[in-house]
Amino acid sequence: MTNPEQPPIDPRPQGNPDVDPDVDPGSDPGIAMPAPTAAPMFLALGLSLLLAGLVTNELVSIVGLVAAVWGAIHWWREVLPSEHHEHVALQPEHERAQPVVARVGAVEHLQAGVEGHRVRVPAEMHPYTSGLKGGLAGAAAMAGIAMLYGLIAEASPWYPINLLSSVVLPAFNLADAAQLNAFSASALVTATLMHLGLSLLVGLVYAALLPMLPGRVLLWGGVVAPCLWSAVTWTSLGVVSPALAEHIQWAWFVASQIAFGLVAGAVIARSETIETLQTWPLAARAGIEGGGLPDLSDATDTGSDDAGNGDDGGRAQ
Amino acid sequence: MASIDLPSPGTQASTWTSPGREQWTTVLHSWVTTVDHKRLGILYVGCGLVFLLIGGAEAAMMRFQLFFAQNDLLSPQVFNRFFTMHGTTMVFFVGMPIIIGMGNYLIPIMIGARDMAFPRLNAWGFWMFLFGGLIFYFSYLGGDGLYAAGTAPDVGWFAYAPLTGKAFSRGNSTDYWVLGILISGFGSIAGAINMITTTLSMRCPGMTLGRLPLFVWMMLIVSGLILIALSPLTAAQVMLLFDRFLGAHFFDTQAGGDAVLWQHFFWFFGHPEVYILIIPGFAYASEIIPVFSRKVIFGYPIMVGATCAIGLLSVGVWAHHMFVVGLGKGTAIWFAAITMLVGVPTGIKIFNWVGTMYGGKLHFRLPMLFCTAFLFQFLIAGLTGIMLAAAPFTWQLSDSYFVVAHFHYVLIGGLVFTIFGAIYYWFPKVSGRMVNETLGRWHFWLFTIGFQMTFTTMHVQGLLGMPRRIYTYPAERGWEVWNQITTAGVVFQGVGVLLFVIALIHALRRGEPAGDDPWNAWTLEWSTSSPPPAYNFAEIPEVRSRRPLWDLKHPDDPDWKYE
Repeated sequence: MTNPEQPPIDPRPQGNPDVDPDVDPGSDPGIAMPAPTAAPMFLALGLSLLLAGLVTNELVSIVGLVAAVWGAIHWWREVLPSEHHEHVALQPEHERAQPVVARVGAVEHLQAGVEGHRVRVPAEMHPYTSGLKGGLAGAAAMAGIAMLYGLIAEASPWYPINLLSSVVLPAFNLADAAQLNAFSASALVTATLMHLGLSLLVGLVYAALLPMLPGRVLLWGGVVAPCLWSAVTWTSLGVVSPALAEHIQWAWFVASQIAFGLVAGAVIARSETIETLQTWPLAARAGIEGGGLPDLSDATDTGSDDAGNGDDGGRAQ
Repeated sequence: MASIDLPSPGTQASTWTSPGREQWTTVLHSWVTTVDHKRLGILYVGCGLVFLLIGGAEAAMMRFQLFFAQNDLLSPQVFNRFFTMHGTTMVFFVGMPIIIGMGNYLIPIMIGARDMAFPRLNAWGFWMFLFGGLIFYFSYLGGDGLYAAGTAPDVGWFAYAPLTGKAFSRGNSTDYWVLGILISGFGSIAGAINMITTTLSMRCPGMTLGRLPLFVWMMLIVSGLILIALSPLTAAQVMLLFDRFLGAHFFDTQAGGDAVLWQHFFWFFGHPEVYILIIPGFAYASEIIPVFSRKVIFGYPIMVGATCAIGLLSVGVWAHHMFVVGLGKGTAIWFAAITMLVGVPTGIKIFNWVGTMYGGKLHFRLPMLFCTAFLFQFLIAGLTGIMLAAAPFTWQLSDSYFVVAHFHYVLIGGLVFTIFGAIYYWFPKVSGRMVNETLGRWHFWLFTIGFQMTFTTMHVQGLLGMPRRIYTYPAERGWEVWNQITTAGVVFQGVGVLLFVIALIHALRRGEPAGDDPWNAWTLEWSTSSPPPAYNFAEIPEVRSRRPLWDLKHPDDPDWKYE
């Protein structure tokens, strides 16, 4: 662990450059750098010509071989018995990097909840169980609207169920109206599993996302999200499942989505929020106990106290 | 809350390179014999940009041909050569040299070293790349022999067997394709060895692996991928040379060879190559976004872990390019699943960049503009990649313009945008001069609008069934208007790139002096002068955190207290 008392070491030159030991002490000190050489270029040129001879003329390969051997020999002589260096003089003083100006007190720290600041740390959230409950309740509301549509439009509650199952059951893709109105056990099981699975997942997403959104939960969950989802479905369903797209009544579809959103959003919004670990120090989150650790109560009180933002590249949470 | 802007450019003049004061022969000699990592980096990137203009011109010619249905601007043969030269040039002679060049220039000064571990090998790598490119383009003169009209390669950038066999590709044009890539490939391998060794063995005191700039971490992983992926391609090319010159039958199905074997070899290189190209784009974004958000990168360890995960997964996905070969259900499911898994670490990265911007004080200077566009475009590229990872989807759209749109979204929307951002970001360090912001903004908007016009519409053409690589199409298919929008976008992009070139030339001649640290940044390269001296640092620095300059600028709140 870094000793906090020890200051950082300036990475800039401090006027004490590495002086090349081979240079006469009386002369201008320089820094030893690898000496320039044409050997790599000649070796590359030679190898290229050697291969290019395959598609041109043998003479090209011969010239290439000579250049490659010349390059290789000179390369070896560059590094054996000792590597060649050149002495690069230090830059004149006025060309060197300027000293860094320290800006004490210039760092600002993120303060969650301060008006006008963009940061919104989810210090509290709804429990995942509320998402599952909301998903189940929304699923029931959506199913109710869908079956109501089936009864009104097709005089059969099985119509929307068979239609949903057609996404994965190819037999229903080409089914006629009578088949879509008839009861099918396999379609019921399939559609129920799909509907419940998706509803629970969306409920979990709602529980996680809704606390992070500004404004009213029901507006986001009950109107904005269902409308967005409906728009995406409307634009893409014709490509994904043309048969399904043909049978959907979009007004009822949007109504069922909104019913889901309103019910699920309401269930989640009514649940009590719980504190997240977002604002806890790493040690506390990791479950480490011991002396010298920051006081946990301070951290939870101040939200993102160490979330430096600053002028100026601070640290984020 | 106080709001402090980025500092104005400083006043320090640059004299390290002083063209015009010396005889041109002296200058030329110094560049030809140089082993300085910075000069080699500049050579790599400069040559890559020249090849970018050539490859871009080839693409533009193809687009003009496709502007009208039944157009006859280009013959089918010339069209085939152009898409082969364009694809090969962009991958091997634009993407590779630019990423290796940027790594060459930046890795040593980011880790506090004076040069690469093997400076002469570094020079050799560059010259191998350049001569490989020159041999590749010499095919226009020598493809059919010097005394016949030369022809460039026309077998596509992945050169499937048996089209590359002697029976179907007569003359030497295909041999030029093999030799050009083979030779430049040795250069890339040399560059990768050098970057790995330099990163592992030449870090300054205090620069632990946990304090490496993300750029260096990502280039380390890219270098490993280059070693893994390029070697099989090199082997396959030697096998193809044996087939073509010595009568071997590795890929000759009529003599017991296996054409699909070539596909395995090629795509074992080809898909990691996508990550070899795009991870450096991630690296540039990971340096630029924090500086212009005025926040530390969000989730540094996770970013490193995600890059390692991408590196590992990327060598297990190659056969998703071969779904239509008929690999069998089990194999297809395996490669589809692994391909989709790559989306997880990639998604983590996108969240971390957005998390870095979130709550930050965003400064939309040129580098940040390009990185912001990259975020949106790369997200779309990733999503279409997930779609294509599903084997049934690929069965429908393989070899269509949808695929072309997808990989151009990755390589232009992702890589090229971040390259432009990186050049605008580090150009002041390299040249000591600032780029004109107005010219750069014109470049950004024209290029972005042109990019969207060209490549967004290509998705539609693909869904409408337009195959890639066709040199013309019948009018009644309904593709013409989409092709016209696509081609119009190329004009916008071309003007944008022209302004980019003008902006760089203008900056070199009349740009404002940049000073040492024009962006108020935090990594070591900004602690030395602009341009840096040949030795980078008069005294080897010592660091105590991931942001050594931050520590110096804010001694009351240094990073090393927290890391």
